[in-house]
Amino acid sequence: MSKTRTALTPGLIVIVGFLTICPVFMLILGSFSEGLGAFGSFTLSKYVKGYIDPALADILANTVIFTVGSAAVATVLALFLAYLNTRTNIPFKFLFRTISLIPMMVPHILFAVSWVLLLNPSNGMINLVLRQLFGLEGAAVSIYTLQGMILVEGLLDLPIAYLVIAPAMSAFDVSLEESSKVCGASNLRTLFRVTLPVLRPAILAAMTLVIVRSLASFAVPSVIGMPGRIYVLATHIYRIVATGYATDYGLAAAVSMSALGASITLILLYRRLTRQGEKYVTVSSRGYRPAVIELKGAKYPLFGIVALLSFILIVLPVLVLFYTSVVPYSMVPSGKALAMMSWKHWISVFKDPVSLLSLKNSLYLGVGGATLGIILSFFVAYVIVKVRTAASGFLESLSFLSFSFPGIVVGIGFMWFFVQTPLYATIWALLIGYIATYLPYGIRPLTSAFVQIHKNLEESSRVCGGGPLYTMRRIVIPLLIPGIVSGWILMATMFVRELSLSVVLSRPGTEVLAVQILRFAEDGLWGRLSALGILMIFISTTLVIIASQIGVRLTKVDK
Amino acid sequence: MEISIRRLSKSYSSEGKTIVALADVDLNIAANQIFTLLGPSGCGKTTLLRCIVGLEMPDAGEIAIGNEVVFSAEKNIYVPPEKRGLGMVFQTYAIWPHMNVFDNVAYPLQTRNEPQEEIRRKVERTLHFVQLDGFEKRPATNLSGGQQQRVALARALVAEPKVILFDEPLSNLDAKLREETRKELRSFLRELKITAVYVTHDRIEALSLSDTVAVMKSGRIVEVGTPWEIYFDSDQRFVADFIGRANFIGGKVATAGEPYTMIDSAIGPIACEKKSGAAPGKAVTVCIRPEFIRVLQGDQGDGRNIFRGRVESLVFVGDAYEGEIRVNETPLIFRIEPTTAVREGEEIALCFDPHHCSILLS
Repeated sequence: MSKTRTALTPGLIVIVGFLTICPVFMLILGSFSEGLGAFGSFTLSKYVKGYIDPALADILANTVIFTVGSAAVATVLALFLAYLNTRTNIPFKFLFRTISLIPMMVPHILFAVSWVLLLNPSNGMINLVLRQLFGLEGAAVSIYTLQGMILVEGLLDLPIAYLVIAPAMSAFDVSLEESSKVCGASNLRTLFRVTLPVLRPAILAAMTLVIVRSLASFAVPSVIGMPGRIYVLATHIYRIVATGYATDYGLAAAVSMSALGASITLILLYRRLTRQGEKYVTVSSRGYRPAVIELKGAKYPLFGIVALLSFILIVLPVLVLFYTSVVPYSMVPSGKALAMMSWKHWISVFKDPVSLLSLKNSLYLGVGGATLGIILSFFVAYVIVKVRTAASGFLESLSFLSFSFPGIVVGIGFMWFFVQTPLYATIWALLIGYIATYLPYGIRPLTSAFVQIHKNLEESSRVCGGGPLYTMRRIVIPLLIPGIVSGWILMATMFVRELSLSVVLSRPGTEVLAVQILRFAEDGLWGRLSALGILMIFISTTLVIIASQIGVRLTKVDK
Repeated sequence: MEISIRRLSKSYSSEGKTIVALADVDLNIAANQIFTLLGPSGCGKTTLLRCIVGLEMPDAGEIAIGNEVVFSAEKNIYVPPEKRGLGMVFQTYAIWPHMNVFDNVAYPLQTRNEPQEEIRRKVERTLHFVQLDGFEKRPATNLSGGQQQRVALARALVAEPKVILFDEPLSNLDAKLREETRKELRSFLRELKITAVYVTHDRIEALSLSDTVAVMKSGRIVEVGTPWEIYFDSDQRFVADFIGRANFIGGKVATAGEPYTMIDSAIGPIACEKKSGAAPGKAVTVCIRPEFIRVLQGDQGDGRNIFRGRVESLVFVGDAYEGEIRVNETPLIFRIEPTTAVREGEEIALCFDPHHCSILLS
């Protein structure tokens, strides 16, 4: 047993090291190379060209405003929701859990598209309504602005900020607040003088994490930013490799280096903040009871805001997409629209070979990729939690490295690698890229599942006469099922919707759903886009339901 | 079945420092006895237990259970825990949450591929023994602490092991339940006639459950004896101190003879139970437990070991008064019946029976 263990750790370090280091390594080499065909011929020209570009200053300014703005929107909303949920007697608390789960329900690109359908200047539904009501000429509101991007990205990243802030808020030692009140401070004063300052590390951590995610975000900048000619780093890099006549992967790699550097710096900052947070927030396990603040008259108005947010985040995008998929062109819901409804767009999607291929590819990548990914995550999590040597600590850092890499940057890095191999333009290239980028999503739930299996549970099985393999089969794996299932669900839904990596790696023949949706958006084929989008949501939801049912069946205790 | 341990050593390295968990431990555990390893946390008692069961690999030495050598560094023998045929109750109980009570208890039999009918019969019998009849279909997580503890005991017993090991099995129970469970465990073990090795840091558990107690300190066995010997007649100050509260009074042997050995001490001459090796002139320590100090009212006592002192403090703790009395500048702690009429600041006479004054040579 000890022999297989010693071989396991280095083996995993090689695999995970390849997956995370290879794209970075190739990106660096690529940024100093002449071009994809002339790999290794050293040049500095790409850096010179990339960084003296006069447009770059504007792009960087946009990027900063976009990321910091989204972080502010997401964090303020998250604080508001977390406070209401953990500290007040607001009704229907289950809604908060739902809000924190939405990233699994509505893919980012579809969320962005639904806002375009509502608020684009030429035929956005809300604009059409406003035009009719007030007899306006032109657009009242345009989503194709930096503010529009910030709003949509902020809403999308709200769950991430919530997941960081809510635990800190509920682990908060209530006696700190109580002593402030004993000193005569009001609820509001306590909130601003005690609660928020103590939560500062968590708030900063949430903001940092959202900045990292929005820096890596591609859906919003491409669907909302590009039509308005507002470019951020991600779309700037995309433009360099996607404009058909002058693709320059060397230049893209050189520009990507700054996105990568920024991400790594921010993640290091995030880790520092979360460590500080542990020191700061006092968690007392004994006698913990949250002090619930009576909202009284404000209860239902505040709940109204939460309900509206849930509606905007979950129901509205799906409604808009479905409506758009059955009307012939963008129109305000009316009797006329009802009369003209048809399955025309659905039929054309089902007749479109590229859409069908993308459906097949995404489903294959979702199921196959998540299964391979979770197997790898299982072994990595096992080594991280149970082996606990210096090498396993190294593996841990290595496996969470890719969390900070923007997808498009990883894509460019892998591009430099795959063109050297027969994997180029195959679905395997996407599969490897997906697993590399999303490995932390599989490892995280599995490590926490492993941690929860107390050492004694395995030892007890050994003493009872079960050998190592018997123990693995009857004790360890059954106890891991919930972690395996949630890791698999996370990975599968991420893979079905994957966009930012795929826009670089996907080639004719390996189209995937999100890329096909982006093409439809670029061509303004909103009806077909919506039909395909609903299919995408349907596939994700089905995978989630099937996987959780299997999980429930496997973990049931015989009665 | 008896267990013999020869020159067992084990050390860990943690943050660059080497921590010795076991240092040359030699121990014989007689068959069908309840044997307790007692000591403060970090003394190596749990490590020793885990070495016996096979969950830890010692660095050196030999362990034999019955006639079978299960570990020998010299002969390169290591029998894995699943092949040692032992039963163990963990501090955390280690009840598997994904199984019901039946499967938890049946597990050791299932690993041995016993026939279904046999398994059912044995599980039923064992659950009856631990008074959990009818609990088979309950999810194991749905039980109280005391019930989980009994499931763990049933699981350890079901395969009729040669030896059963306990790692602080009562420390997760609240005080009242701990006392009940301790009594229950005692009657279970008496009935079974099985070799049991029991690890605890609780002196009351050790004294009340065991046939033999071994006191450990810093990876070594300090003293082995019956609970009575350990409590009344320990050779070592560490043991006397650990097993209960005690007054230690330094002195010199004046005369060693019948019926008592006389010690010259800071509070005056003390008559003590005689002790071999306590030769006149030798510096020794007298150990007197607070519960054997009596307060004299009027003219009582046989005139031996009577001292006068001032009551410095007195605390009512329910079943007794606990306090401190100063005799010739030497503070002594004492424990007396709550009905005794004593007040703080009072001058009183007290005495202690020479039988309960033991001499520590070290």
